[in-house]
Amino acid sequence: MATPATFHDEGHGFDLFGLSPAAVARAVALGAPAYERYFRVASEGSAQVPRAGAAILVANHSGTLPVDGAMLWQDVVRHTGRVPRMIADRFIPRLPFVSTWFARVGVVSGTRGNVRRLLEQGELLAIFPEGVTGVGKSWRDRYRLQAWRVGHAELAIRHRAPVIPVAIVGAEESWPVALRIDGVRLFGAPYLPIPATPLPLPVRYHLRYGAPIALHDAFAPDDADDPAALAAAAAQVRAAVEALIAETRTARRGLWR
Amino acid sequence: MRVLVTGATAPFGAALVRALVEEPAVERVLGCAVGARGAELPDDDDRFGYHPIDLVRARAVHDLLWGPVRDAGVDAIVHAAQHRDPAARGRRVHALNVEATRQLLLACERHPTIRHVVVRSSADVYAVRASEPNLLDEDAPLDLDPAAPQWRRDRVEADLTACARLGTTPVRVTVLRCAELLAPGTGSQLWDYLRSRVCLRPLGFDPMLNVLSMADAVEAFRRALTRGAQGVFNVPGADTLPLSRVIARWGRLDVPVPGPLLAPLYRLRARGLGLTFRYDLNLSRFHFGGVLDGRRAAEILGYRPTHPIAWPVPRR
Repeated sequence: MATPATFHDEGHGFDLFGLSPAAVARAVALGAPAYERYFRVASEGSAQVPRAGAAILVANHSGTLPVDGAMLWQDVVRHTGRVPRMIADRFIPRLPFVSTWFARVGVVSGTRGNVRRLLEQGELLAIFPEGVTGVGKSWRDRYRLQAWRVGHAELAIRHRAPVIPVAIVGAEESWPVALRIDGVRLFGAPYLPIPATPLPLPVRYHLRYGAPIALHDAFAPDDADDPAALAAAAAQVRAAVEALIAETRTARRGLWR
Repeated sequence: MRVLVTGATAPFGAALVRALVEEPAVERVLGCAVGARGAELPDDDDRFGYHPIDLVRARAVHDLLWGPVRDAGVDAIVHAAQHRDPAARGRRVHALNVEATRQLLLACERHPTIRHVVVRSSADVYAVRASEPNLLDEDAPLDLDPAAPQWRRDRVEADLTACARLGTTPVRVTVLRCAELLAPGTGSQLWDYLRSRVCLRPLGFDPMLNVLSMADAVEAFRRALTRGAQGVFNVPGADTLPLSRVIARWGRLDVPVPGPLLAPLYRLRARGLGLTFRYDLNLSRFHFGGVLDGRRAAEILGYRPTHPIAWPVPRR
């Protein structure tokens, strides 16, 4: 794989956040069987993702462990050549092995300082506004967007970056959480998820990218500090993701196909 | 410009003196430190003069400032004197690390010629935590943990002492928070860590570290002096790389070990071999990194790191 255009080598083949193009290439190869054979990802509309400049992908989130994030990452790398910087919860850096491996493929802990820097560098971010609550969805809650945080809207308005809504269909049926043990906080994770099945089911994934939403045209930079404006902007993105999910679910012909 | 450098016999102070003596904009350089000078400093001439004084002794400092320093018309001080060994503890250590900084700043405010004080601070003042950004800018929280070793508490206190005087006095204050200077004799924890053939690091963690070369450190101070800009600035180095790569480029054997075993193992190493690396001082950055964001220094001082470390093992 070619070195991503926004890669800033700090002299040793890594960027400031620890991303390494070599590790990205390895992860693409390693993830290929899951992407091609197991989940048989069907991707539609990746042309909507800007090929340069700051932009924010916003998607629904589910599935015990962020398998949907991994598939979205694979899909974006394969179709656009850009390495999306997946924004992870702030407990991620405390996880041994995971923290290192995530850092090498461009996952970044979602602190203000980090995301601001990435957008200023013109990177492509991927945010799941449902956060960890989304990952812990039960079967009953599939495709019901959970608490929708507004951070993505704030960033888009402040940094004048387009938002690309993404629907991830399939993940929500693939590995729902059967039980959340809230008392157990391993490595600072908010709960211990017990999935319904030991492994994710090979449900076919459908990724659908929507048309970019120019929140920065509808809102002035000062609106980034206005709670009402942020709520309105986030609701607009949420509606777009919901519409994409509905569209994709109607279009597919069953869980496995 | 005429400059006084404290801590002039330590490797950094000496390197800075040598650079300033060559600098056309600097007419005269004075150096001071405890004890006799060595071969690391140039001979006394019309460009340079050495004054052995103990900064802990208030009278001696006063006599220097209102004696040779005033007579030479020194207008800027670089305060770089600091205890380098983390095993050094107690009142006398605190007196140099913190009180000397405070007294120097206070004295400069009523000094007839000094108009600018540049204080050498370090990245060690920042609290490195999992929940903090990977890049630490100058507004990142400082490590105010009362249980931290004195080595760190002194550095934070000295830094804050200088910051508290920013903009409140006729003297311009510049605080340079330098990334770790990977060089012998500078008190570098990483340098000491890399002295062993086998380097143990926490299993499952490979944080990004940033290290500074002597040439870049000197350049940052030279720019702070010539630009005269007031404020707090991060001074990152040209090398940002994972800890495992640091170990590999140093030609050492990288052995990941479960984290909880490292503190006792390195305590044994410190006791047995008399080395200065302390794992408790490095625990958080050996997990979460903490790379300095140098954009403010780039913008205002025009400082960009351009001199990478001379790594013993070439890059593969």
